[in-house]
Amino acid sequence: MTDLARAGSRASDPADRPKIVRLHPFGLDGARTGPISFATALLLLAAWFLATHYRLVPPLFLPTPQEVATQFLAVVEDGYAGATLWEHVSASLFRIFSAAVIAASLGIPLGLAMGLNRWAKGVFDTPIEFYWPLPPLAYLPLMIIWLGIGEVSKIVLLTLAMFAPVCLSAQAGVRALPIERVNAALSLGASRWQLFRTIVLPSALPEILTGLRIGIGVGWSTLVAAELIAATRGIGFMIMSASHFLATDVVFVGIGIIAAFAFAFSYGMRLLEAWLVPWKGKS
Amino acid sequence: MLQVRNASVFFSARDGRVVHALDRASLDIDANSIVVALGASGCGKSTLLNAIAGFLPLSEGSITLDGQPVANPGADRGVVFQKDTLLPWSSVADNVALGLRFAGVPARERRERAEELLGLVGLEGFADAFPHELSGGMRQRVGIARALATDPKILLMDEPFGALDSLTREQMQELLIDVWARTGKRIFFITHSIEEALFLGTTVVVMSPRPGRIVARFDLDFVRRFAAERDVRAILSAPEFADLYDEIRSLVHRPHAEADSRRAVLQ
Ligand SMILES: Nc1ncnc2c1ncn2[C@@H]1O[C@H](COP(=O)(O)OP(=O)(O)O)[C@@H](O)[C@H]1O
Ligand SMILES: [Mg+2]
Repeated sequence: MTDLARAGSRASDPADRPKIVRLHPFGLDGARTGPISFATALLLLAAWFLATHYRLVPPLFLPTPQEVATQFLAVVEDGYAGATLWEHVSASLFRIFSAAVIAASLGIPLGLAMGLNRWAKGVFDTPIEFYWPLPPLAYLPLMIIWLGIGEVSKIVLLTLAMFAPVCLSAQAGVRALPIERVNAALSLGASRWQLFRTIVLPSALPEILTGLRIGIGVGWSTLVAAELIAATRGIGFMIMSASHFLATDVVFVGIGIIAAFAFAFSYGMRLLEAWLVPWKGKS
Repeated sequence: MLQVRNASVFFSARDGRVVHALDRASLDIDANSIVVALGASGCGKSTLLNAIAGFLPLSEGSITLDGQPVANPGADRGVVFQKDTLLPWSSVADNVALGLRFAGVPARERRERAEELLGLVGLEGFADAFPHELSGGMRQRVGIARALATDPKILLMDEPFGALDSLTREQMQELLIDVWARTGKRIFFITHSIEEALFLGTTVVVMSPRPGRIVARFDLDFVRRFAAERDVRAILSAPEFADLYDEIRSLVHRPHAEADSRRAVLQ
């Protein structure tokens, strides 16, 4: 018995570094994907370069990377379609930002209220469930007829598009609240408002942030589509007018700019999540 | 004094049948006592505790605390849950002081009180840790400290050590007795372990299922003896302990026979 036990234990020589192990993870579990993504991006660029270099695709359909880069610099310097690049970008950013702020400041409180209150849920459920499966572009013409071709119709359209995911996720956040947590707070003497402030809101925060992220994604696609149809400024408009002149390289510049901003937003949201809900997924 | 009088609870089950979860339970919890409710799973222990905590209204009967009827949850009854309900976004100190925050106690005072309570449950130096950094037993200690923070009149504990390993469980039992001896809190404690019930209770009530009712009541002094002498082995090996263990064991294992005989008497 004793001998067996001794034979099983290894010599504890401090120089003899132990082999560090951990449980086999399932899914990604925080594995690093950055280098892989970077390599993929390089590969795609190389493919693009080769396809244009060997004229596998006519230049009208697919400009070379160099052309796009040159065109980008030209647009930065001279602007495009009657406005500077910054004017296009800031027009788009202004629309999406103001719509996001409005959608969040309406959608989060309303979603929380709908998760907590019979009347709020009863009243607002029907209109939201009715409108949110509609593609925003289906009611864009209505927005233009009602609100004109200016900024208001676009911001209202974007707000509507972003509102639903934010509102639904806030509701889901309340629904996922464990009753024991509520009871614990009540038995510690929480008032209704304190319960809301210290328990309901933080518990729903991870879901709300996810909803915001989805909302902003929906916002980008709706924004560009709306600008394609009705605008005189904005990245979407820039792409649209370039396509009229078959300026594929400018179209690529526009797409690249949208992709860069969408990526930056996504990254920003991830930072926000890490800052606001570092405890997400822990107990 | 906490008084439960003829408390009955009827639930409706999913299929529409009526579940008689608690049948005319009566119970007194005096100052300085630990009342332990013991019984197999499903005999209405949690139902009784939830009613005392104010989470659940009674179908019939009444519950009063120092003469005041109990209707809602409140800071005069501290609850320790089986599942830990600490806030993952708050530090241990903030978790302990949650009830003080609700009461509007200023931050510095909260912190002092939290550290004092963490000392009481043997967690000095963990004030700034987060719940996910603690073991199950440590989290339950935080839960106990949190429930004590608002200085409640009674501590309600629903199988608080049920999820812990047996060694930690013994430590926690001794810790609870220390806390009880030092603070003089009355405690209502739920368990399905006979040994735990005998060791902790100044009174043990045995419950039986369908309908959940109190079938027996024992007044004990093992816990007072432990608080005075701190000798676990002497208590566990005492012949009275073994006799009571057997008696309660046969009660818990033949609850229906007991309940049937009582029903026969009632009829
Ligand atoms: N919310 C509920 N709805 C319906 N039945 C319930 C509910 N809560 C408990 N019960 C039933 O009441 C009985 C007592 O439950 P409980 O008090 O949780 O038992 P214990 O805590 O002793 O294990 C069980 O039969 C259980 O199925
Ligand atoms: Mg239970």
